[in-house]
Amino acid sequence: MPFDVDPQLLGREFDRTEYGPVTADELIAYARAVGATHPCYLEPGPDLVAHPTFCVRYKSRKFYPDDLPTQIDFRRGFDAGKDIELGVPVRPGDTIHVSSAVHELYEKTGRSGAMAFIVIRFTMTNQRGETVALIDNRFLHKLGGGS
Amino acid sequence: MILDLHLHSELSDDSRAPVEAYLKLLQRKRAERPLDGIVLTEHRQFDPARDYRALEDRYGFRILTAAEVETDYGHVLVYGVNADIFARFDFSNVRLPAQELITEVARLGGIALPCHPGRPTVGLSAHYATKPPLEGVVAVEALNGGSRRGEDDRVQELIRRHGYHAFGGSDSHLVSFVGVCATEFDAEIRSTDDLVRELKGGRYRPVDFRARRVA
Repeated sequence: MPFDVDPQLLGREFDRTEYGPVTADELIAYARAVGATHPCYLEPGPDLVAHPTFCVRYKSRKFYPDDLPTQIDFRRGFDAGKDIELGVPVRPGDTIHVSSAVHELYEKTGRSGAMAFIVIRFTMTNQRGETVALIDNRFLHKLGGGS
Repeated sequence: MILDLHLHSELSDDSRAPVEAYLKLLQRKRAERPLDGIVLTEHRQFDPARDYRALEDRYGFRILTAAEVETDYGHVLVYGVNADIFARFDFSNVRLPAQELITEVARLGGIALPCHPGRPTVGLSAHYATKPPLEGVVAVEALNGGSRRGEDDRVQELIRRHGYHAFGGSDSHLVSFVGVCATEFDAEIRSTDDLVRELKGGRYRPVDFRARRVA
């Protein structure tokens, strides 16, 4: 790893946040907003489940841990995409726990210069301990700005 | 024989293109992009265990593997990666010394060629403006499918001045871009050894299929 990263940082939980309980109304509102048409996302009742992308609304309360490398310019950056691995569906009444950790941290170079990529892994579970989703969210920052 | 010498699959952090999807698209677009194969150049990594023979057999395309690494003179494609080369260099290091890489890769049986040399910051031209030219550069990527306006034009001056051979690659990160630029070889390429030998020999030229549209 070209810049100094404390190996202890990777995989260590830096935030744990709880959301819920989830209501049927918010699942239906979300499904309508994304244009879902299947009744299982829209009709109240025992078969109602969240649209698969519903889980992306959940985040850590704390954006990053405090001990990321100081060479990273946190003021300049953007969301560089996410990989989502789905588990069990979210249902009305569920409580969602989001555990956040730095999964990967690496550097690369491009037209605009050096960049740092910070991959935050959000592990989402429900009140039964079942995995709802694993989301690896990649954030891009410029390097060299520091402080 | 025509090969796309520069493309990325889902193994690279910035691509989501499955290798099989590339092959399916090349099959469908054979009239527009008459390629015989591809060379996968994943970013900052090389996995010798990757075996694409089953896909080669199923789709009838040659599939070879290489790597794109990052150096103090910009990005460089390394062909003919072997255990000695992989042990000698940390491919994840984004500040590899280019001169050492080119010299040592050649000594160890491969060839390292600068890619998208007209690109700001990560192209050879930008570095030649402030640093001495590298020794032992055989060829540069004169056609890159990801180049912006003017970037490939800049390479012609580099080739004229230094006498480099020219090759082409799509630099595809998306399935639909595979083979838009490629390299035509005089000889048949059956293996990575063939590829390295021909690249060193200079018997090839870049080909551009971007303007070719078949209804």
